[in-house]
Amino acid sequence: MECRDFTPQLDDCLDGRLDAAARRSIQEHLERCPDCRRLHQHAVALRAALRTLPAPTPRQGFVDQALSRATGAAAGAVRTPRRGALGMALAASLVLGVAVGVFLVTRAAPVQTVALTLERPETVRLMFNSAKPLQAATLSLALPGNVELVGYGDRRELSWQTDLREGGNLLQLPLVAHGTAKDELVARLSHGGSSKTFRLKIEIKNAGGMGMSPVGIAELAVQPQSGDMS
Amino acid sequence: MRPQVEYLYRLAWRFTGSVADAEDLVQDVLLKLYPRTRQLVDIEQLRPWLARVLYREYVDLVRQRARSPIADLAADAEGEDNPLDTLPAIKDGPEEHAERSGLRERILCALDRLNPEQRAVVTMHDVEGYSLEELETILETPLGTLKSRLHRARRRLRALLSVEPFSAGERVNG
Repeated sequence: MECRDFTPQLDDCLDGRLDAAARRSIQEHLERCPDCRRLHQHAVALRAALRTLPAPTPRQGFVDQALSRATGAAAGAVRTPRRGALGMALAASLVLGVAVGVFLVTRAAPVQTVALTLERPETVRLMFNSAKPLQAATLSLALPGNVELVGYGDRRELSWQTDLREGGNLLQLPLVAHGTAKDELVARLSHGGSSKTFRLKIEIKNAGGMGMSPVGIAELAVQPQSGDMS
Repeated sequence: MRPQVEYLYRLAWRFTGSVADAEDLVQDVLLKLYPRTRQLVDIEQLRPWLARVLYREYVDLVRQRARSPIADLAADAEGEDNPLDTLPAIKDGPEEHAERSGLRERILCALDRLNPEQRAVVTMHDVEGYSLEELETILETPLGTLKSRLHRARRRLRALLSVEPFSAGERVNG
């Protein structure tokens, strides 16, 4: 067996799907090839670690709450809102909130800064709390050069057309930082000839640091009826 | 259904890596299944069947998000279910990070980098221990496609974790 023959059989080898002759052939190859032996050891160790990967149990009260909602909904008695937090397969999250619509009053707005950890996926969440439905709003993002939106590769300018419902609308941004320079993420929401620009300062820490800083929920107010309010 | 909720939650969390998403998925599955609870008694292999229902919900969620970056939320900003109050992001913050350590944290981060299909097959097969033949039914995907996805997922995980190879002290026996 050559190395090029071993690699395609690695998965079947791990899963015990090879016959005795194939297993013997692989074993002989591994005994004389340190590179393939290292690959095999790595794969076996990873598989063992995955097999023992723990999962959290539901938070206290969740099971009762979920069953209660299901039974209530079946009886037509209970509204069943989604939590809607939507942290898409990412390790951690931060939350910021922004309000759009016809609010005139602003609450005190905490500094809108998030801390990412270098090369670690984090979800930054922007809450667009709209006082009324907005049809076909345009949301544009400008990402810092050293921050990737997971799944979009090198693209740093992105734009979507989307509807905003009355109430909370959550934009989740799975981000990975590839450099430590401070920079800004700019989100621009446009609708009906007006627009609002939100700026988010991003600080990036090395993995060996203290991790993320807690980030509260900030709210901004905007009147989208006239001109550019950025 | 009560005895199955923790199982559903565990799978949902493995699919999504998120407490909030796991809760949403489980809630959606319960809402769908509750009117049919009497039928569930007749299902021989209940857990694989439930896993298939859950996976369908997960696929719907992924598709929904692919269409728009804006997620639906309950509009009730004043009620007790105000999403700003219940977002788990605060709970998922530094404390949760601190609990993840060493190898486990690196693996969870690497899983986060897989696409949803790869993550589903690797977690159901390598973590939960379902055979590929069982996953043909649960994930409603042909065996060849599953093997291909699993191969790519494992290769990607090894690549992501190869920067800091497994040391003898970190290996998990099993």
